[in-house]
Amino acid sequence: MDEIELKNPSVEEEQDTPLDQNVRLMSPTQMLLRRFFRSKLSILGLIMVVGLFIFCFLGPVFYTRWGETDLDKSGKTEYATSETTYTVDGVTYTLRQTTETHLVDNFLSAPSVEHPLGTDDQGYDVLARLMYGGRVSLLVSFMTVFLLTVFGVLMGGIAGYFGGAVDNIIMRICDVLMCLPGIPILLILSAAMDGWVSLDMIEENMRIYILMLFLTFISWPGTARLVRGQILSLREQEYMVAAEAMGYSVSRKIFKHLVPNVMPQLIVQMSLSLGSMILYEATLSYLNMGIKAPYTAWGSMINIITTNPNILQNHLYVWVPAGVCIVVAVLGFNFVGDGLRDALDPKSRR
Amino acid sequence: MADEKTLPEEEQVATPDAAPSVVYDDAAEEAKFMAARKAQIEEDRQKPFDPNAILEVRHLRKCFPLKKTMTGKVTQELIAVDDVSFKLMPGETLGIVGESGCGKTTMGRAILKLHQPTSGQIIFDGKDITDYKSAQMREIRKQMQIIFQDPYSSLPPRSTVGGILSEPVEVHNIVPKAQVKDYVLELMDKCGLRDYYYERYPHEFSGGQRQRICIARALSVNPKLVVCDEPVSALDVSIQAQIINLLKKLQQDMNLTYIFISHDLSVVKFISDKIGVMYLGAMMEYGNKKDIFENPLHPYTKALFSAIPHPDPSVKMQRIALQGDIPSPANPPKGCRFHTRCPYAKEICKHVTPNYKEYEEGHFAACHLLDEE
Amino acid sequence: MSKEKKARGYLSGREIRAITKANKKVMKRLEAQKYRKAEESEFLTEMKDPGNILEIDNLHTYFFTEQGVVKAVNGVSFNIPKNATVGIVGESGCGKSVTSMSVMRLLQGPQGQIYSGSIRFKAYDYKLDEKGKPVPAPAGSATPYEMEEKVYDIAQMPMREIHRIRGKQIAMIFQEPMTSLNPVFTIGQQLDEVTFIHTPGATKEDAKARSIEMLNLVGIAMPERVYGAFPHELSGGMRQRVMIAMALAADPRLIIADEPTTALDVTIQAQILDLLRNLKDKIDGSILLITHDLGVIAEMADYVVVMYAGKVIEQGTVEEIFHNPMHPYTIGLQKSKPTLQSNDDTLFNIPGNVPNPINMPDYCYFKERCDKCVKACSGEYPCMVQVSPTHFVACHLYDKEVDHG
Repeated sequence: MDEIELKNPSVEEEQDTPLDQNVRLMSPTQMLLRRFFRSKLSILGLIMVVGLFIFCFLGPVFYTRWGETDLDKSGKTEYATSETTYTVDGVTYTLRQTTETHLVDNFLSAPSVEHPLGTDDQGYDVLARLMYGGRVSLLVSFMTVFLLTVFGVLMGGIAGYFGGAVDNIIMRICDVLMCLPGIPILLILSAAMDGWVSLDMIEENMRIYILMLFLTFISWPGTARLVRGQILSLREQEYMVAAEAMGYSVSRKIFKHLVPNVMPQLIVQMSLSLGSMILYEATLSYLNMGIKAPYTAWGSMINIITTNPNILQNHLYVWVPAGVCIVVAVLGFNFVGDGLRDALDPKSRR
Repeated sequence: MADEKTLPEEEQVATPDAAPSVVYDDAAEEAKFMAARKAQIEEDRQKPFDPNAILEVRHLRKCFPLKKTMTGKVTQELIAVDDVSFKLMPGETLGIVGESGCGKTTMGRAILKLHQPTSGQIIFDGKDITDYKSAQMREIRKQMQIIFQDPYSSLPPRSTVGGILSEPVEVHNIVPKAQVKDYVLELMDKCGLRDYYYERYPHEFSGGQRQRICIARALSVNPKLVVCDEPVSALDVSIQAQIINLLKKLQQDMNLTYIFISHDLSVVKFISDKIGVMYLGAMMEYGNKKDIFENPLHPYTKALFSAIPHPDPSVKMQRIALQGDIPSPANPPKGCRFHTRCPYAKEICKHVTPNYKEYEEGHFAACHLLDEE
Repeated sequence: MSKEKKARGYLSGREIRAITKANKKVMKRLEAQKYRKAEESEFLTEMKDPGNILEIDNLHTYFFTEQGVVKAVNGVSFNIPKNATVGIVGESGCGKSVTSMSVMRLLQGPQGQIYSGSIRFKAYDYKLDEKGKPVPAPAGSATPYEMEEKVYDIAQMPMREIHRIRGKQIAMIFQEPMTSLNPVFTIGQQLDEVTFIHTPGATKEDAKARSIEMLNLVGIAMPERVYGAFPHELSGGMRQRVMIAMALAADPRLIIADEPTTALDVTIQAQILDLLRNLKDKIDGSILLITHDLGVIAEMADYVVVMYAGKVIEQGTVEEIFHNPMHPYTIGLQKSKPTLQSNDDTLFNIPGNVPNPINMPDYCYFKERCDKCVKACSGEYPCMVQVSPTHFVACHLYDKEVDHG
């Protein structure tokens, strides 16, 4: 039997320390970090998410050669020569005809030193567009998740705390909203917006924000239900009865005692919905309802393949990087979410 | 323990199967009983409040709806507390004993108005607080506190001990802001907590320490009345004794009045001046500790006494074995609630609800057998 | 509270990593040991005293947590004689439940491990031939295979062989009758299953007859009705009776009752205790009763083992423990329980708290709560002193060779 070090680092010998207190434990933060970093997947997820953020927000600071809307005007002059041979009276004449074509844009050029990921069909630098497009995608999904969380917590909190008729009304609204099919309504809304844009009622680039606002509107019920369920179960906990017996005000009970205890579940829910919001944004952009040229998002960069089947097959560098970014973002957020769930759940002792 | 001298000889041989001599009309008996109770409640409502009592509970009743129709009409209800009355003087301890489902916890919470009573009166410190709104209650709250059974779920997991204890002090302005920490540290010392626990979280402590924190929290607002809802049931024997002694010491120091709820008669005996025995929502017997222990009137009280295992192998107890299980409180037996398990039950017990009466000075009970003497 | 002092109370990241690393190594070795393939001869052993059914010898069960090694059971030894009831009494965290879990090998791996020691159990099991196949019995005998008595060392048994003792030889009654029955099956289905598993070749009718017999045995008035009922239709007391019936169904040689009445009301507890006491005479087996309630122990047990912080501090017959308690902890425990007879004004109490099982000192664990300390108490942990043929106590007060100054 191999002898092991079974002793624990103890508090420095102190005469009056009783035996039930002579042990050093982990602080709550340590416990949380430890549980989070125990899983390899959550570490991977964190690296993915942080990497993407650095790439999108710090990338353009260092990669300054091309901007989001800079077209590569260095298109070459192409010479096409054609020869026509004809014979007049036994003499053969050759007519050489040279056509000089000057291409302004350097489009669909393969990855090179000048363009690490090549250029797309318009002549934009793919790497730069990836960075700027990522900013839009990440920002939009963050905003959406933030908004829907705030709204969801508010509604769920009210429903859960007050119960009764208030609860009934809010939950029925949730039921109705959950029945709405998201994508079809977004398509209709987008079509309507085409009209508003042409009438100058809204700006072209506001389109994606309005769409995501609508998305917020139909997706808060998920958060609201979570918060309501949590609050219903927390309300029965004896420390909430104790808070009631202490005569605390309603707002103190909700915001100092209930909400902090809902936070863990909320954080998990937020990180998981970030992934799905990125997907939503990509879908909208892909359907060309999102940001319009010359600006871009990851979804729009994939949308290019619909214009020219040739790109889908022969110019992978144009659309694959955007797809990879979307996958990395969604996976990353989900891994982090799962890791947080395990770390924050007091019952998971393993 | 289980002396049966209070029961007439022939009652002991009477079997529940004996042929009924009288035929009872259940509905009529029920109506008669309810009418008598209603008159009694009306009569008691007119009585002035006892100026000496800190707490007076009159005909307290708490029902929970079980089934509702679409229109919100209650079709079936659980009568958790049914017509409980008692009076408590300052500095006294009332022990409430009963098995699970007897409504003792609900009663404790209804007195603190954590559940709104269905009917009845709660007179605290000369004021009828039964119909106080939550804003009015908030002022009263600091005078009446509660200690819970489970020291694990009754402390918020995300606050430090210091935070838990100073919050009520700050909310109710017990001491000026600058002195809060000193006040809390002094309180912790009083409850046997070390000062370096201040920065710690509840999950780092054992059950006994947590229960001390709960006691400190309840006492932080200088209450007059503390409802202790099974405060030692979840604790080890050696810790139980510590907590009970602590509660007794604090009672003397701060002149507290306790309502001590427990399922354990031996614990209740130790701390109480008066004892109430509850069964399925109703008070079965109530009286001074001495009366209850030396001369228990109700068969249920006697059965409770004899059910406690005695920590001495040479004492072989004569048990009054109670048959069967506790009936569901949602559907209590007709007549006397206890008749399904009572070894002395007679025909009348199955049909007529016994009256809760004073049989000796300050000693109340509800049992038909006592009326026949 | 200064920052330093606060930080001192917690482990540093480096310390946690060191603990985890050390734990991982041991846990891996013990897990491999647990799931190894082994011949029967590897875990066959001999009883020290043939009159015993179970002998626990210097058992160490540890939990390898990230905050350190919890020595939940730290060198426990006691015996269970045939047809006797042995009660383990102690406070929460004293290791009484972990001892029973070790006997059943129900510890949650990989954290919970039997680190060393042996648990010898005299089983009545199928006789195996050289190939490890049971030997068929001659025609006309009660069982399809030949049976023999053999002694297993449960601590050495690999997990794949554990089914030989679990349920069949050692049955367990749990504390929570509410959650120990599966809510989607009827009582009958759950009871029949026990018979099917442990009696090869039993028919449906056999199983039902056996189940009804068991329900009758535990004093259920209408066994036919309970047989078809679902667990939620029964009250707590009834469920505990059903749990006992399930434990009895396989005719075990040892029943472990882990706080069987703690979750029940007093009047129901009295019924269950009466039942258990009556059963003791009817069945051919021993009972290991685990409880924190001294009253229950006094009523039920023949022998008592008092545990404190993972160690046995006193053991003896029930009369010896209750009429002549020797260890200050046993004395204190008995004095601090309020009884209906006592009329004192304040309860006696043992000061302090149950020690944290991580990082135990070398001296007596009870020292800081003890009011009878002698000089030797600051020294080594006291060894077991024999005061009578059956009475042992681990306390320096009774050790004649140490300094009592």
